[in-house]
Parts: sequence; structure tokens; C-alpha cells
Amino acid sequence: MALALVNSFAPPLRHDHDGAKGSPIIDARNIGVHFKVEHGTVEAVKDISFQLYRGETIAIVGESGSGKSVTARTVMGLLSKRAVVSPKSSVDYDGSNILTFSEKARRKLRGDRISMIFQEPMSSLNPIYTIGSQIVEAIRVHRKVGRRQAETRALELLRQVQIPDPEARLRQYPHQLSGGQRQRVMIAMALANEPDVLIADEPTTALDVTVQAQILNLIRNLQTELRMAVILITHDLTVVRKFSDYVYVMQHGEMREHNTTEQLFANPQHPYTRRLLASEPRGQANPLPEGSDVILDARGVRVSFMLRHGGLFKPELRELVAVDSLNLTLRRHETLGLVGESGSGKTTFGQALLRLNDTDGGEIYFDRQPIHGRSRAQMRPLRSRMQIVFQDPFSSLNPRMTIGQIIEEGLIVNGLGAGKSERIERVREALVAAGMPGNILSRFPHEFSGGQRQRIAIARAIALEPEFILLDEPTSALDLSVQAQIIDLLRRLQDERGLSYLFISHDLKVVRALCHRVIVMQHGKIMEEGPVDDVLNNPRTAYTERLVKAAFEVA
Amino acid sequence: MFAFDSSPPPPHEDMATNASHGHESYMALVWRRLRRSWTGMTGLVLVALLIVMAIFADFFAPMDPKATDVGFAPPQVMTFHDKDGNLVWPRVYALADSADLDPVTFQPIVGPDYDNPRHLGFFVKGAEYRLFGFIPAERRFFGSVDGQPVHFLGTDKFGRDVLSRAIIGSRISLMIALTVVFIVTVVGTTVGMVSGYFGGAFDIWMQRFVELVLAFPQLPLYLALTSLIPITAPTNVFLAFVIFVMSALGWAQMSREVRGKTLALARIDYVRAAMAVGATDRRIIFQHIFPNVMSHVIVAVTIQIPSVVLLESFLGFLGFAVKPPLISWGLMLQDTANYSVIGSYPWILAPVGFVLVTVFAFNALGDGLRDAIDPY
Repeated sequence: MALALVNSFAPPLRHDHDGAKGSPIIDARNIGVHFKVEHGTVEAVKDISFQLYRGETIAIVGESGSGKSVTARTVMGLLSKRAVVSPKSSVDYDGSNILTFSEKARRKLRGDRISMIFQEPMSSLNPIYTIGSQIVEAIRVHRKVGRRQAETRALELLRQVQIPDPEARLRQYPHQLSGGQRQRVMIAMALANEPDVLIADEPTTALDVTVQAQILNLIRNLQTELRMAVILITHDLTVVRKFSDYVYVMQHGEMREHNTTEQLFANPQHPYTRRLLASEPRGQANPLPEGSDVILDARGVRVSFMLRHGGLFKPELRELVAVDSLNLTLRRHETLGLVGESGSGKTTFGQALLRLNDTDGGEIYFDRQPIHGRSRAQMRPLRSRMQIVFQDPFSSLNPRMTIGQIIEEGLIVNGLGAGKSERIERVREALVAAGMPGNILSRFPHEFSGGQRQRIAIARAIALEPEFILLDEPTSALDLSVQAQIIDLLRRLQDERGLSYLFISHDLKVVRALCHRVIVMQHGKIMEEGPVDDVLNNPRTAYTERLVKAAFEVA
Repeated sequence: MFAFDSSPPPPHEDMATNASHGHESYMALVWRRLRRSWTGMTGLVLVALLIVMAIFADFFAPMDPKATDVGFAPPQVMTFHDKDGNLVWPRVYALADSADLDPVTFQPIVGPDYDNPRHLGFFVKGAEYRLFGFIPAERRFFGSVDGQPVHFLGTDKFGRDVLSRAIIGSRISLMIALTVVFIVTVVGTTVGMVSGYFGGAFDIWMQRFVELVLAFPQLPLYLALTSLIPITAPTNVFLAFVIFVMSALGWAQMSREVRGKTLALARIDYVRAAMAVGATDRRIIFQHIFPNVMSHVIVAVTIQIPSVVLLESFLGFLGFAVKPPLISWGLMLQDTANYSVIGSYPWILAPVGFVLVTVFAFNALGDGLRDAIDPY
């Protein structure tokens, strides 16, 4: 295993280092971190070295569990108590090894000279303080300035991160801001003391694609303006290519390869890097067979929620229309993409089509049978013919049931398979078809990784031999290389079994690889509809254009 | 894993790493995590000891709890020495009037009776009892070899052995606690799950009813309800009534918690997936919601048991829980209501120690379980 061979693609020093750039602002050598767990230790990061120079952006790329966040937190000194940093690690900032500093000295650096932005802007701001007081606090912790002065500076920062109407924002609370605005506030706080180094740990992963581009551009502009050095941690290769000068590729806690962005993308050396670059979703759906008939036909489907405003004596009901009279037809063997930002109503629409939600109006025909207005009991005979795969493979499998029980449930409920042994046989077949071994029936979901769980969820759906599957963002919780495998699997299953998919996604790259046609939704309405190539190559609405641009160019 | 070969990796490369932390059932996982918490394990051991003690209370009690001796006799201390300080078998010396008189008061001086040591031993023959109420037996775990009275925690006002009574009393106290919590759990979980899962009008009215129960001032209600029952009622009827009253006021809280948990679970993806395969409500409740609610319920149970033990001792102290001839900790504490009694004979407070240990044991176990029970 770890024979500690010298990896010639990842020497401790940078390939482009020729002394011309001066000394690095951060020179990390041989960082090793392990976590104490029961029965031993887990090595999260092994022997990682990197250099960061003033005014540039380096990217640390890797899939989940590759140790990129642990590396960043080591530099920040924000590791959990169970983490042990190996004694031979060193992180030189400005010539001195900050790993040897006392906690007090490190706290002084943190948020002042070295700042960090986190992935989750929803939870990294304190909900009970105003935006203004949080920025002011960030300033006054490190600078001896008056409140008034700090407030002036806070305002200036909010202007700098281009939040509309900054004066009003100062007095607002985090919940009054959108996700993108909150991330801007986080950036403002990180920049409050004009740090030398900014660590951005997946800064846009939790945000919509169109917002992502704005945030990344903002970071880049501020970097040039303030001559900061930025460490960008991400799994998104498009972002890396666009925004970083130098790339480090990590896998299983080890450095696989590093090089200048240009070199790395043009000429990847390490097999892992090559695989990573190749795992961008590619290919396209196989053409539809001639004259395939319509399996799902929806007309004027409408879903709304009643929101209550006002007090007890003056109740004010407001109707929120999540899905506004939408039409949709899906043919056999076809994949229809349903695209839009979060909150556009695509999941609600999809679940309404399966009658997992109640509709307010409209007609839905499944295989020419009307299913609108049917009760749950009346829907039961059709259930085995239409299935669903959810986005989050961690919440879609009951943790208390074995894999066998989970997949067998649908067979029992629908009375498929004569007897236990035949059902078990069908469960095995479904697992194998989904690319999992057939001998895992007595194991529990927690023993599997995200990608494996998603395969199990797919096996649950196909075990019933459905004709139609609703795929609700089945790949967006997964790593890139796993995502590519799942796409291949879905495409193969469609060809083998003549399945029809309704594919809900916000990721246009995946949509292009998998769908025949696409529907673009915004605020519960259909903005655009057509064959996938037409829509993505020649978007007719500004909204679609923005989505396409964000997905394929990040700018 | 370090490899320079360009062959693609096997599709399930992380399977190998997963397999190492193994294929464990849910219970095994919970057990592994519980073992990690030392307070939880301490609680578990103590709870186990308490339950064993309560089941075999007659065996562990050194004396017959109803036999009378000298009233308010102080605790006797076990010693390994005889009068001259030689090391001997463990024994206690009863107090007796010695031949000497106090030079001032001319009262006989009370001191240890060195001439009649009461030898102690394990598995001695003592007063006869019926194990579990029907097996005649006379062996006791610990006591005097020849059946003479020994009082490690002294005696109460009628001269009954406090330690034996506290050990026997644990049976009623724990029985009340476990029965009440059992009823509360069954009723609370059922109501909570039905209310949370089906919602609608039933939920709305049920929750208003739950609020009504929760809003009751509990103490006056206990007192009023328990005084409803005639003083001449048979003891078992009285006991059943006490249990009924405690359960009637206790289930509401539990049903609230379970309802909340059910509400959250009913919207989770795996329940929706079960609906999508056409599962019936019954199946969803029993296969998906119930097992996932259970973890919460088990923790709630271990937290609720001590509160019932405390309630019993409190009501018993006021004379509203258990009537003689039954013995419970609360009832024993009734004797301590008098300040001068506590001042002169503090050992009759001993049941407080038992209550304390019980409450601690269940709380510690609950604390450990709370961390262990959701391993995913």
C-alpha cells in the first residue's frame, strides 16, 4: 500500500518555482494528520507539501475524503480535538513555522493574516446578531479601533463585496439575506483585516450555479485589488481551470500531482488526474426509437401551498404557486430533463407527476390511464410501474433495514415474485444490474459510500421493473467520478430495459450527457422547452442563457 | 493504492476499505458506542445491580424486614477485631449496658458487648422467606451466622432493620417506576405516532387534549386523586391506583416528543420511497417509522424512570403513594418528617441514598444511550 515511493509528479517543491517569484508566503511541508478512532487511527492527510506565493491562487482539488479540507484546516489551526498533526509537518508563514505557535498566537493570525470562507453560508453566520455587528466584531477582535470607525469600515467592506444597498444590510439579520448575499458577507468578514492569505473551502458548492460565478469573480477581483494569496479548495474542475494559477490534486490524503493549471489540464501525468479529468460528464443520449408512444402526459398541473400571514385576528392567507399549470409529455425510452435553480418548483412538479404530492388541478395520464384524483390506495396497482430515485442517498435508505429488506420491500408490497427465494433472486438481479455485488443483502446502508448507496437506491427502483423512473438530482450529492459512473449506469439501464426517465437537475452538464429533451423552469413556470442540443446551444431566454453560461463557462 | 499503472480502478474500490469496519448489526454498533462512554457503562452496571437486587430482594436483605428489635438502634459496624485487638472473622458487636455506671449521671454506660459477638458470613441461614412469593427458602446473601439480628443501617422507630427494608422497598419503588414508564411509553408512543403520521383533525384534537393534560397542576391532582381512594382499600388496589394516576399524567409528554419525531420522519426520503413503491400506511408505520422512533423512546424511558422514582419517594413521604404493610422508599421516608427524629437518628434517611443511586444510575445510562443509540 503506502510504500512511500517518491511520486515524481508531486515533488515537495513546485514545478514552476524558479526563485524568480521570491519566497512563498506559505510554505507547507510534509503535513500529516491522523484522527484517533476506535481500534487505531485514520490517516486523513499524508505528507502533503505545497507553496503559495503572494498574489496568486492555488487550487487544491480532490473528491470527498481526499483530505483537502483537513489540509486547509491544519493551516488555519481549526482541526478537531481528535486530530493529531504529525511532528514532522511544518507550515511556514512569513518565515516561521506556525504549527509550533501557541493557541493564542495562532488566534492572532486567524482572521487577521489568514482568513477562511466556509462552504455553508447558511450556518456560518450567527443568526441572532446583525450583519453589521458580526463584521464589526471581526474587525475589533484584531484591531484597536472604535465602534464608529469599525462600522465605517464594515460599510466599506460590504460595498467592496458588492452587496446591493449596503447601509441597510448592516442592520439586517442573516435570515433576511439570500445564500449568495450571505456568502458575500462571509467574504467581507474574511477580508475585514486585509489578510495575506484567504482560504476558500468550497465557497460556492452550496449556492446556485448562477450565483457561483458571481462569487468566484468577486473573490478574483478582490484578490487582484488587495494582492492576496488565495487557496481555493474545490471539487469542481471548471472552477479550477478558470480561477487558479496552480493546481494540487489530492486523493486518499496523498498528493497525486501538481502543476500549473495550463500544464495540468493539457498534459495530466498521474493516472488519477487523468481519470479525474475524464470523469466530466460526456456523451449523449442514444436516439429515440421511431414512433415510441407517450407514457406520461400531464396537462395544466398546478400545485400550490397556502401560507399564513398576520395574526390570529387578521389571518391573511397567501397562495404560493409552486407549479403553475405545466404541461409535459414523456415518451417511452426517452429522457426528459427538468432544469432550474433551487426553488423553481422542479422537484414539486416531479413528485406531483408521481402523485406523491397533491395537485390543485390539471390532468395526468400514465400510459393513457388518468391518475389525477386517484387516492393512494387507487394508485397502488400502478406503483410498480413508476419509480423514484432521490437526491440524497443518505436519507433515502432506511438506516434500520438491511439492503435486502430495502429492495425486497417493493416486491412484497406489490406481490411480485412467488415466495421468498424468488424475491431474493430478483433483489440480487437488481443489485447486479445496478453494478453492485449480489452478496450484500444482509448489510446495512451505513456500510456503503454515497455512490454505492445511490446504486442501491437505483436497484430498489429497477427491482420492480418499472417503465418510468423519476430521477430527482440523483448525481448532485456525488463525487465527479462517481457521478460519471452513475450516468453510464442510467444510460445502460435505459437501453437494456427501455426505461423512460424524468431527470431533475440543476447541472446542465449532466443534462446534456443524459437527456433527449429539456424543460427549463423558473418560479414554477416553464421558460423554455426543446431538444437538449437546441436549448443548450441556442438558448432563447436570458434565464437559460445565464444557466448555460454558468454551467459551461463559470463567468 | 499507489500505482502508476494506467488500468482503471475496480469500480468498487472503496468497498474494501468499508469492509474493514465491518458488517455489524444495529445492536452491536450501539453496544460498541455505549462501551465507550464510562458514565453510560457505570449507569448500566448500577441499573443491572439494582434490578438484580430488587428481584432477589429477600435473598439480599440480611433480615426479615418486619421483625422488630430495639427501636432507633444505631447502625452496627462490621469489625475484624475482638476486644483485645486480635484479627478475627468479621463480626459485629451489639450494644449492651455494661456493668460500669457513668460517674456523673449514674446511668449504665452503653458499649459494645464483646462477650457476645455476632459472627457474619455469606449465604447464612436466616429468617425464613418465600423467594418470588412461593419458593420457601431461608438462605440469605449476608448476615449473622447464627440468625441473631444485625443492623448495618440501624433500625427504625419500630425496631425494624432499615437496610433490609430499603432493599425490599426497592422492589415496590422500581416496580412502580417500571410499570408507569411502560404504560406511559406504550400509550405515548402509540398516540404520538398515530397523531404525527396521520395528522388531520385527529392530530389537532389530540394535541389540544395533550396540552390540557400537560397544563394540569400535577401535585394537587395527585393528592386529590390518591385521596379519592378509600383508606380501607386493599393494598394492591391502592398500588394499581397510584400507578394509574402517575401514568395518566405522564403519557402526554412522551406522545408530544414521539409526534415531533414522527412528523420529521414522515417527510424523510425513505418514507417517500416506500410510498412510491406502494407501501401501506401500516407497513410504513411499522417498518420505517417505528424502528427509527424507538431510539428516541428508549432514551426517553431511561430519563423518565428516575423521575418516577423521585415522584414516588416524594408522594410516599407525603403519605400518598404506598400504604403499609407494603414497603417502599417513599414510605420509609415518611418517618423522617419529624425534625427531631432526623437530628437524633439520621440513619433513617438511608433510603435517600438508594433513591440517589437509582436516579443517578438511570440518568447515567440514559446519557450514555443518547450518544450511542443513533450510530448512523
